[in-house]
Amino acid sequence: MASDSSDITLDEVRERIRVAGVRIPEERVGLIHGFLRDALRPIRALDTRTVRTLEPAPTFDAAAERDRHGR
Amino acid sequence: MAADIEFLGIAELGRRYRRRELSPVDVATAHLDRIGRLDKTLNSYVTVTAERALSDARAAEAELARGNAGPLSGVPVGYKDLYATKGIRTTAGSALLADWIPDHDATCVTRLQQAGMVMLGKLITHEFAFGIQFPGHRFPPARNPWNLDHIPGGSSSGSGAALAAGLAVGALGSDTGGSIRGPAAACGIVGLKPTYGRVSRAGVVTLSWTLDHTGPMARSVEDCALMLQALAGYDPADPASSREPVSDYTAGLAAGVRGLRIGIPRDYFFHGVAPEVVTAFDAAIGTLRGLGAEVKDVVIPSIWSSSALMVIMLTEAYAYHARDLRERPELYGEVLREKLMAGALFTADEYVQAQRLRARLVEEAHRVLEEVDLLATPTTPGTTPAFAAVHDPNFPFARSNMFPFNMTGLPALALPCGFAPNGLPISLQLAGRPFEEATVLRAGHAYEQATEWHRRRPDVR
Repeated sequence: MASDSSDITLDEVRERIRVAGVRIPEERVGLIHGFLRDALRPIRALDTRTVRTLEPAPTFDAAAERDRHGR
Repeated sequence: MAADIEFLGIAELGRRYRRRELSPVDVATAHLDRIGRLDKTLNSYVTVTAERALSDARAAEAELARGNAGPLSGVPVGYKDLYATKGIRTTAGSALLADWIPDHDATCVTRLQQAGMVMLGKLITHEFAFGIQFPGHRFPPARNPWNLDHIPGGSSSGSGAALAAGLAVGALGSDTGGSIRGPAAACGIVGLKPTYGRVSRAGVVTLSWTLDHTGPMARSVEDCALMLQALAGYDPADPASSREPVSDYTAGLAAGVRGLRIGIPRDYFFHGVAPEVVTAFDAAIGTLRGLGAEVKDVVIPSIWSSSALMVIMLTEAYAYHARDLRERPELYGEVLREKLMAGALFTADEYVQAQRLRARLVEEAHRVLEEVDLLATPTTPGTTPAFAAVHDPNFPFARSNMFPFNMTGLPALALPCGFAPNGLPISLQLAGRPFEEATVLRAGHAYEQATEWHRRRPDVR
């Protein structure tokens, strides 16, 4: 897919790295930018005001047995 | 004779055991010998459990003598080293867990051992089922038996390589973004990612709670069906485990595809696909059509949102690894560490939106699967890359034909459908409705019976 004006920019990625406090070498920031750009493209294209409400969560079983989580 | 033994399928092994033409101990010994000869080059096993294999084989022999043996009894298996094995080192391909000896078996391991399988050992995985093994890493990478300069796919790299080379009859893999189907495609074998919740993840090191699947890998669809029969079913130790009744995966295996409707989603899945892959795929569809399947194009409108898988996977992987990344970062491979840290760069709303997109994709895929019984796509856009390419730290993640079925949780099967001019395998992906693994396997088996691709063997010595 071609680059889009709504794509996350390299500077935004640098800012997120700074805010998150993680250490990523400068020579690898371009790779990380590519990851974030591709992963976020469908999210940035989503207009949350126009799409029908969708539940994000997996199924929740309120009546789950006590040992359901292996305890 | 030796090579013949090591490439027999599960059903044929069972027939020969019952006729007393072969014994599980002979077969286990033949596999251990072959591992000893070939695996110095292939690196598919990180731990070989020879004593355990012979002990399991003797137990299977006793079951056979009593007439109690099931279809998997005495069949040699390797477990991806992401699956906990009681008393046996389980590394997840990592330096962090290099000396971890679990006090329990993963549920899948328990089920296959109870079915009488013979544990040959633990199969190398990419680091934490995600990172590529770089030179100098704690464990050397498995190599592709079809061409040692190429990767065997990942992350179930050892599983794919061992099966292709005749170093196991069955194996377990795990699949978060294609890690069962990718190695199956790269190594010319068969891999099934079952429906989310069909096979337990309990005791398997987590990459992403939303996307992780476990499942069988083998050299034929029938063998995958036989293993799935033992693996499938509710497990209280896995919060995502389903109570959906388990089907009979072999009863209808030979029923053919006449009247089955197969949909081809042309958008996304054919973007950037190599011409030789398209040719092999078209020929495979022609074969299925010739067997009586009805084929039509279908559309999944938001299929391109599949790339949001990376948001979910990286965020959840970061959540799982955050503490070790802070406290023992030096025990991660450099490139994996940076990729995991990328999971800290997404915002909470981006993670939630990715899950919403996933919900939309699930809904759309279910709608399409009212029109057709199966979806067919190339498993990967090209043949497997060379080590030299993936060892570039900037090697990107390509768009994946496998992501959509982790996002939707639908069952998806990868099986060989040809070879490229460079001698490397090409793979067909068949996906079906939730919990309809039997239909997926039936179509795959029909295709296999009409073709010879799954019978080709690499020249390893």
